[in-house]
Amino acid sequence: MRGLTSRRREPSRTESQVKTETLRLEWSRAGRLIASIDGTEHAVTVSRCFPWSEPMAFLSLRDTEDAEVALVADPLSLDAASRAALDSALAGASFVFGVRAVIDLDEEVELRTWHVSTDQGERRFQTRLDDWPRKLPDGGLLVRDVTGDLYRIGDVRGLDRKSRERLWAFVD
Amino acid sequence: MSTAIHDTDRRIIDRYTDQPAGLPAELRHRIEAMTGAEPVLLYAFADIDDRYMLASAWVVLTRSHVVVVSPDGRFMAGDTVPSTSAAEGAGIRLIERWHVTAVHDSRGLSASTLTLTAARNEPPLLVVRYTNRQRRAFERIRFVLEEGIEGRDVPCGDPDLEYAAAIARPIRDTQALVAGRPTSVLLRLLGYMRPYRKELAFGMTAAALITAVSIAPPWIAGRLIDRVVGPAQAGTLDVGRASTIAWLAVAALAMVHVIRQAAALARLRLMSVVGEWVVRDLRSELYAHLQRLSLSFFARKKTGGLITRVTSDTDRIWEFLAFGIIDASLSIVMLIGLSVVLLSLDWRLGLVMTVPAPVFCWLIYRHGEKINPLFLRTWRKWSRVTDVLSDTIPGVRVVKAFNQEQREVDRFVEHNDDVTDEANNVHRMWTTFWPVIMLAVHGTTVMVWALAVPRLLGEGATLSTGTFVSFLLYATMFIAPIDVIGQMARTMHRATSSAHRVFEVLDTEPDVRDIQNAIRLEPVEGRVTFDNVSFSYDGVRQVVRGVSFDVRPGELIGLVGPSGGGKSTLVNLVARFWDVSGGVVRIDGIDVRELDGGHLRRQIGIVLQDPYLFHATVLENISYGLPGASPVDVIAAAQSANAHDFICRLPFGYETVVGERGQTLSGGERQRISIARAILNDPRILILDEATSAVDTETEREIQEALDRLIAGRTVFAIAHRLSTLRRASRLFVIVDGRLAECGTHRELMQVPDGRYRRLHEMQLSMQ
Repeated sequence: MRGLTSRRREPSRTESQVKTETLRLEWSRAGRLIASIDGTEHAVTVSRCFPWSEPMAFLSLRDTEDAEVALVADPLSLDAASRAALDSALAGASFVFGVRAVIDLDEEVELRTWHVSTDQGERRFQTRLDDWPRKLPDGGLLVRDVTGDLYRIGDVRGLDRKSRERLWAFVD
Repeated sequence: MSTAIHDTDRRIIDRYTDQPAGLPAELRHRIEAMTGAEPVLLYAFADIDDRYMLASAWVVLTRSHVVVVSPDGRFMAGDTVPSTSAAEGAGIRLIERWHVTAVHDSRGLSASTLTLTAARNEPPLLVVRYTNRQRRAFERIRFVLEEGIEGRDVPCGDPDLEYAAAIARPIRDTQALVAGRPTSVLLRLLGYMRPYRKELAFGMTAAALITAVSIAPPWIAGRLIDRVVGPAQAGTLDVGRASTIAWLAVAALAMVHVIRQAAALARLRLMSVVGEWVVRDLRSELYAHLQRLSLSFFARKKTGGLITRVTSDTDRIWEFLAFGIIDASLSIVMLIGLSVVLLSLDWRLGLVMTVPAPVFCWLIYRHGEKINPLFLRTWRKWSRVTDVLSDTIPGVRVVKAFNQEQREVDRFVEHNDDVTDEANNVHRMWTTFWPVIMLAVHGTTVMVWALAVPRLLGEGATLSTGTFVSFLLYATMFIAPIDVIGQMARTMHRATSSAHRVFEVLDTEPDVRDIQNAIRLEPVEGRVTFDNVSFSYDGVRQVVRGVSFDVRPGELIGLVGPSGGGKSTLVNLVARFWDVSGGVVRIDGIDVRELDGGHLRRQIGIVLQDPYLFHATVLENISYGLPGASPVDVIAAAQSANAHDFICRLPFGYETVVGERGQTLSGGERQRISIARAILNDPRILILDEATSAVDTETEREIQEALDRLIAGRTVFAIAHRLSTLRRASRLFVIVDGRLAECGTHRELMQVPDGRYRRLHEMQLSMQ
């Protein structure tokens, strides 16, 4: 079911449904995303339940103690202003580097160093030798470096020949 | 933190990242000038701008300012951010810390946002974005700012060291030895052979002798044909004399082979033995060093990986030392020697043989390079097979409970087929390559024949039969060294990788180290004082935040609070398994960092929720901390721990082997053995970490009785979820989110309206 549900810590409110029109999202002047539910305001952050298979559905709004205040199953059910606020919050929460080309791959003891060109600029990062890229539901690859930064290679076949050759061992 | 580690951290940043290894000195001077000579406390590098593009800016913390430096003028905050203080110089902005009333950190998948605000409805003072790579450095700034807002001062160390450690740590945790060039690793490895240089010299001499005498048989054969067999057949040499010379030559050949095999025996045996001695030394040094390392090292390294370093890696090093080094060096000598001999025998035929040799070496090397991605792919697919095994074998109960056996079999078969396909690709490649390269090698021999035949036949033949036979025999010796030299890069790579992994452990310094002339408290009274103690395991999340208390000798302190609140960490700091990030822990008024760590820990007894018993007898387990304890003392300790009775029921009493693969004991029985172990050690300070939470009520009663005997007269820290087990506590500490939230006796805490302890107590009462 797509719509909106709210989960609160008080047992009596657990799993209670919140009608779409009762949730408003907006940015405060202090730069915080504020969720208003039944007139109560919560400073929230957004977390995707399925960041790779359903990136634009099932968005969990979480308060400062990381407890869920509402689960947005379908953002289209929100009003336009709330949707815009949600979109800008998602840009930060779900930011990952988008890889355009693999410039170099170098191996040494325990470490593999990647030199990549990304949508954000050129970057070097390291993975463990036995950490393999993860295959995403859309066929792309996700690489996680030793610091936890994520690098997404959307369409491996769309990369240049050299990049494809360097990635060959990591693609099924 | 030592200067050496700091240098390593800076090298890591330079080598592996594209960001500066520290705040530029010129910038630091400008900041200090602008803030009235306030020293820099901490700094971090913001590498993402407001459009989520890579950028570079510094966020610097001083005593009363947050300074933002953005060389390109962008303040990483969009254009909504006002400056709270006049900026001097382009790209530098000062924010006075007293303006900051709240610090908010919003964490995304790869980028986090730090927001400093002045008041609820005012625009933020600063919005700064950064990737996970910078997270540790920013987390430290956030912690210090938050504590500052609460009026608490956090002592900061050297900002350069903190920054470099924060950025380099994830890479250092993965690979401690950085910038170790293969040659220096190799030289270091050879250094381990120094004590055995006499044996090594004999081994090398024997190997050189093998190479030298190998040259003789083809030469003898050639001379025999040209000088004896040929003239005898042509009738120019007396048959009797020819026969004598021929038999002498045969005897010389036999002698050569005897010498060669005797040298081979000496070389193989000496080098195998020396190789074993070297890796024995390495293994012992490695294990002794592992025992010196702090718990933090074991927390970030997988046990399997460490065991591999002591076993498989040292084994691979043995192979290299015993055979690899000599094989490789003598192959080069052999190839050069053979080339000289062939060219001197006949320069035209010699050229045919020697010119392609470097090409063959290069082709074998290239083959190794080309097959590498296939190996990598096979390795990746192998890891899927092992993932299924390591998932489903320990989790077999879940598989069976959900009736998913067939699904798991299908999953395994799919990955197994996959890895087989990849392995067959590898086999296809090498099985194609080697016959082709051998064909090319033999092709050169055919070329030699083709060039030699016209010169061997007919009138005025320019090539003697003997020379040609010698030549052919030498040509067959060409193949082995070409193969060894071609494979040398791979052999060297494997050996240096293994040596690198071993040296990485040897080069890791324990985080917790004793100072020189460390103090030995004799006797330990048992006073434990925490003075504004902060601690973080990973440099990101503060697990203990500004905790202060003073525990008198003989007090029983109950530690309560939610899981993950920092209770176990507090007691780990008492035992100095880790060093504090801020503040001081004192035992009997002395900083634990000034105490002899080993001596201190002998005065501390620890009973854990899931006690670890070694694969040894009950007796050895109980007397682990006091080897050689008398049977009377061991039995007395076991009786106090309510363990004597069940031990006597075991098949071999105190001499029954327990632990992994030993006699199976229940959780309560293992717990009572561990209590006996603690009683025998007679510690002054005792730590009980959830000692009774994993057993049934009857066993708990028995254990509680044992504990009551154990705690008498000692300073005790007892962690428990069941508050009823802490009824004897002198005081209770409620630990929430790393802070000492409440402190007092049961009666005092029950009188705190809406107190944490009171709520916890009432909740547990209502559940009974």
